[in-house]
Amino acid sequence: MAIESQRKGDTLHINMGPSHPSTHGVLRLELDLDGEVVVACKPVIGYLHTGIEKTFEVKTYLHGLTLTDRMDYLNPMGNNLAYCLSIEKLFECEVPERATVGRVLLAELTRINSHLVFTGTAGFDLGASSVFLYCLREREKLLDLFEWLTGQRMMTSFIRPGGLASDFEPDWLKAVGEFLDEMPRHIDEYESLLTGNPLFKERMIGIGVLDADDAIRIGVSGPALRATGVAHDLRKTNPYIGYETYDFDAIIGENGDCYDRYKVRVAELREAVKISKQALARLPGGSVRTTNRKVMPPPREELGRSMEALIHHFKLFTEGIRPPAGEAYVPVESPRGELGFYIVSDGSGKPVRVHERAPTFANIQALPLMAEGGLVADLIAVIASMDPVLGEVDR
Amino acid sequence: MTMRTELPVAVPHGGHVRDANPGFLLGKLADWSREKSLWPATFGLACCAIEMMAASAASYDIARFGSEVFRGSPRQADLLIVSGRVSQKMAPVLREIYDQMPEPKWVIAMGDCASCGGVFNNYALVQGVDKLVPVDVYIPGCPPRPEALIDGILKLKADIGKGLR
Amino acid sequence: MTVAPERLQSAFPSGRVGVSADSIPYVLVPAEQILDTIQRCRDDLGYSRWIDLTAVDDLEAEPRFELQYLLYSMTEHRWLRIKTQTDERVASVTEVFAGANWYEREVYDLFGVEFDGHPNMTRIMMPDDWQGHPLRRDYPIGGEPVDFTVTRDMHTETENQDMRIEYTNTRNSREQRG
Repeated sequence: MAIESQRKGDTLHINMGPSHPSTHGVLRLELDLDGEVVVACKPVIGYLHTGIEKTFEVKTYLHGLTLTDRMDYLNPMGNNLAYCLSIEKLFECEVPERATVGRVLLAELTRINSHLVFTGTAGFDLGASSVFLYCLREREKLLDLFEWLTGQRMMTSFIRPGGLASDFEPDWLKAVGEFLDEMPRHIDEYESLLTGNPLFKERMIGIGVLDADDAIRIGVSGPALRATGVAHDLRKTNPYIGYETYDFDAIIGENGDCYDRYKVRVAELREAVKISKQALARLPGGSVRTTNRKVMPPPREELGRSMEALIHHFKLFTEGIRPPAGEAYVPVESPRGELGFYIVSDGSGKPVRVHERAPTFANIQALPLMAEGGLVADLIAVIASMDPVLGEVDR
Repeated sequence: MTMRTELPVAVPHGGHVRDANPGFLLGKLADWSREKSLWPATFGLACCAIEMMAASAASYDIARFGSEVFRGSPRQADLLIVSGRVSQKMAPVLREIYDQMPEPKWVIAMGDCASCGGVFNNYALVQGVDKLVPVDVYIPGCPPRPEALIDGILKLKADIGKGLR
Repeated sequence: MTVAPERLQSAFPSGRVGVSADSIPYVLVPAEQILDTIQRCRDDLGYSRWIDLTAVDDLEAEPRFELQYLLYSMTEHRWLRIKTQTDERVASVTEVFAGANWYEREVYDLFGVEFDGHPNMTRIMMPDDWQGHPLRRDYPIGGEPVDFTVTRDMHTETENQDMRIEYTNTRNSREQRG
């Protein structure tokens, strides 16, 4: 809803960020204000530029895997997955079924993790601070599960080229099942606090409308795109790791406003629980590591028996894996949109170029379209509903 | 490890000067109140900020240690928790935020990137925020657990309460 | 994936067409034709969605930078990669795809390739007064020396190039990639 600007004089040029409680990281916005109305909004990024893409070039592929966690730090296993899919495409490597299903489970658990942070911070930014506490309470249980499995709460680096780092324990699988069983009740709790809340609706409905054609031209993806009515979910249109075999819905919105983006994400939270339960139920037996010895080292028991195993182990841990020369880009549907790693290999142990196609980098470009003409308070709602993570924007 | 020595009055420490001897009881009262109500400024940069958020949430809850509110404005805060990586573009912003904080102020470098540059030894990051601001506590980890952050804050508070910082 | 490359070749006769390892077809066009190519990909071939733009630097190749544009077709659910090679500058495609704005600024900032016709050709990641373009292969990784580690300025004498530890990997990669 654009408010008529009653400009009688100059606009106020003001700076918001990069250190600001509501910008979800170090995003700086240069605003031109006419009273409370945002006349112009210019995002300035680069305050978290970490040189990760250059650092990839001096590390082996496995060392580089640890860097991927730190890009979109709310979706660490999703980043690992995208990176590993690109490497495996270069190798044309077979990944065992147990690892593939396990990847789906972990990717969806990570999606739950990310959307919980979204729901919490969206409420928090608009003043509903108790939702934040509820969402992070569930997130703590999820992080405990991640720590049980991988040893780390957030930066797990668990999804490796060729499979997973280690196998699942039966106790862990049971605990995940219990977590997933009680999640729908908690999601109902969050919805009862926000979805029907008249104050929340007043601040989100009709605010920050994004047009579908603009979204496509800019390259917006993920829930922000689906909220505009475009039926595009990479898990449905270009499935990977077996998503075509799972029963779930791609949630499509209608109006492209903040409320729809919120509703799409909460519904995706429910779908993620659904997919995780299916993945848990169909987890087959077998190994989680590929037998392709050019990609993953052999199990340690073999080293005492087989000369070849010893040679493979040696080469892999001194030189690293060496994907065949070529380029690969296999995008995944991250909680923010289309995330992919464009990896260029020349056949050596270090990549020539690794570029992350970060969804938020494109999504933030749409911010001026959504925020201009609205109030400053609406700007906060718009940023919260876009769910930006500056780690992947600036890399 | 903290150095537990008797410091003379008006000692310059890490760049800021403690107030000259205000009298024993008043000084003790000031130290006690600074320790018990340590308000951080919001300076969450990257992944460590998420763990800082988790530390302020219900499970770990630093509010019970006095850090009830994260002040949006540095002019109302006494603790700067630098949580995350400081890039070249962000460095002057960090220094300005630190300069805007009134005395007495303390800095915690949370995480590996703030302590020493972390995993990213490259052109883009300042290799440790102690190149920009004086740091009181370094908390290693990538990211450190919320309990590690609380441990660091408690160590700092113990020193503040004794008048050592 | 044999349909798309043939269609591409007939649409862009002067371009070199191929398929990458990820089954995404690509067309390599001369730098002068890039704006026209992108426009036709959007309007005639139906690749209406902007995805990505990046560059790959190859010190030993002429021209040095290879730009990789990535578009997506909403109807066919397929990607298309458009490549072009340049040493210095190329036309900006922001009129065709608004999303290219920041991507072109990033390539300018990190590689030094200028985009003619861009509304705001300024640095985006590095501070405005930064010298140099960090992602070029001859730009050092930077950072600080770490004691007692086999990293900076220590090379192990060995024939195997991979065992040599160096700042930046300056291999001749483009021909090897094909």
